[in-house]
Amino acid sequence: MAPILFLFFIAAGFAAFLIGISIKFAPKDRPTDIKASSYECGLAPDPPPSRHIPVKFYRTAILFIIFDIEIIFMYPFALAYRDFLAQGQGLYILLVMGVFLAFFLLGLWWEIASKALKWT
Amino acid sequence: METLINGTKILVIFLSMGSLVPFLVWAERRTLALMQSRLGPNRTGPLGLLQILADLVKPLMKEDFAGQATHKGLFYLAPLLAIIPPALVFGAIPFSHPLILPSFEFLGYAFGPYTFYFQGFNLNVGVVFALGVSSLSAYALLIAGWSSGNKYSLLGALRAAAQTISYELALSLALVGLILVFNTLDFLEMVKIQSGPLTFSFFGSEKTIPFLPGWGIFYQPVGAFLLFISFLAESNRVPFDLPEAEGELVAGYHTEYGGIKLILFYIGEYAHIMVASALMVTFYFGGYTFYPFLTEDSLNGLFQARMGEWAGLLTSLALFITFLVKFFLFLFVFMWIRATLPRFRYDQLMDLGWKTLLPWAFGNAVVTAVVIFIFDFFKRGSFFG
Amino acid sequence: MDSLIFYFLSSVLIFSALRVVTHKNPVYGALYLACALVALAGIFFLLEAHFIAGVQLVVYAGAVIVLFVMVLMLFDLKAEKQLWKISPFRWASVAFVAGLTLGVTLLEGLLGSSSIGDLGFFSAKHIARLLFTKYVLAFEVLGVLLILIAVGVVALTRLEREDD
Repeated sequence: MAPILFLFFIAAGFAAFLIGISIKFAPKDRPTDIKASSYECGLAPDPPPSRHIPVKFYRTAILFIIFDIEIIFMYPFALAYRDFLAQGQGLYILLVMGVFLAFFLLGLWWEIASKALKWT
Repeated sequence: METLINGTKILVIFLSMGSLVPFLVWAERRTLALMQSRLGPNRTGPLGLLQILADLVKPLMKEDFAGQATHKGLFYLAPLLAIIPPALVFGAIPFSHPLILPSFEFLGYAFGPYTFYFQGFNLNVGVVFALGVSSLSAYALLIAGWSSGNKYSLLGALRAAAQTISYELALSLALVGLILVFNTLDFLEMVKIQSGPLTFSFFGSEKTIPFLPGWGIFYQPVGAFLLFISFLAESNRVPFDLPEAEGELVAGYHTEYGGIKLILFYIGEYAHIMVASALMVTFYFGGYTFYPFLTEDSLNGLFQARMGEWAGLLTSLALFITFLVKFFLFLFVFMWIRATLPRFRYDQLMDLGWKTLLPWAFGNAVVTAVVIFIFDFFKRGSFFG
Repeated sequence: MDSLIFYFLSSVLIFSALRVVTHKNPVYGALYLACALVALAGIFFLLEAHFIAGVQLVVYAGAVIVLFVMVLMLFDLKAEKQLWKISPFRWASVAFVAGLTLGVTLLEGLLGSSSIGDLGFFSAKHIARLLFTKYVLAFEVLGVLLILIAVGVVALTRLEREDD
């Protein structure tokens, strides 16, 4: 764990150091009205429209969580597969995992077929 | 003492990664240019190499503005978060064979036998660690887009984050097939397995092809292809670089950034590419070995005959150079693809991730598991025991 | 060295967890939660539960909190921020929960066993063995549950926006 933390702090320190150089040696930030407004291709920024919020981000993120969990469950399976085979329990594990993968496939087919991920 | 060695090693690894990035920028500009029948930067210094220095000094000297950001603390934090995840993964990748130093005497102190690993830290769950830390890179995008105070930045950041998480699925699933074959999560173990000849059990008998190395690409060609495409998408690289393309939502999540903070985002992207190349080499192309010519055994034998004591060090150095050659080859492939392919539209991109790559990766994992089962059945002769 | 790292990570964890409930902007709360979970993954690493630490990073900090953050960023949160008041009741409830947790931990430390058990318990292969033998039914039920969530989410978010 110590080397990982050390690398974390080195990377963060490096970036902070660069930003620090920029803050110290570069011309100071003199905010004008135009600089302080958000950039919209040079046009005057129009007020934020109170449209409805796009729900596709939420849908994509939830489906991502679901499939991510299922894939993470496949990792212990992948690691212990050969051990189970060597002990002669190959058929059992294939059956158990097959049921789980059938659910995965069902979910995948359903969300593709239901056009849940139309992004146009 | 050991902490000092480890600390210096990690510092060296990070600094070499950091200093490789400007070189990559120059290399990319030259490569793209030459592929487009023009010359790249060739004015500043020989072959335009001083352009690297110019590219580093200019952003540092630019005004550091943050006036329009609604959340200034996060605005400054996002560039840091962009370079930390790839740096962490880079520290876990083995660059060469571990050097085993026997005990020796120095200045009256006896140093015991010590194994010097050519990686920042030797994890036994390298693959899951790499996946976990890569998924944290979504935060840099989101924080950058949101704290900019610009609604187009926010939308760009959300789309970039949605792209990142969609391709993480295909990434993880493509690796499941590889783990089924190699049966380990450790990077070093994977490279060691790939340093032998290509062996597989074929309907009961063990077959060995003596002239081909046991590389991952021969066991999992489909998985390698899927992983490569997923890496392209994860690092926001052409043809998947819509989140940062000019002319699309201005410049996406880093519209409001300038100066060195913007360059830090690009450093993060190049670091991602380096991590992707290093991982492709480690998983599918033998890491630092190249059976039958360049493995630790053959090289050790070669050097032992001539150099005796220094054989271990020379072996490690030679294997490191092998890794570097393959690594740079993959970096070149990334740049080549950038010069060649047009960009995907956003909905095409998402469709590719969910409707093509994910089912194919799933099929790859299932087929691999079934094939292993069938071959094991033939070797064993029965279903049980 | 390990105990130093543990103290550092746990102080990060406690501070981030505290800021989750005391910051008035919900997006900051979600980001502090991500920070707390990364510190927790570090503690898992220290406990030699490498696989669990990695899974924590992939699923919890890398998927669930990303969802929270993505959704929260879309909203205009002025109303939530205005409603946030620092009241004595809020601090009292935080202190109560913290005190309860501390008390339980101290009691456990004083009265319970102090060994951490077999450190190979959390390796990925051992988890796989347990998953497919002792907890196999829970594993399958989890598969069904995940499908239900997928179907439910798509059904919930499809009704109003046919022309999204």
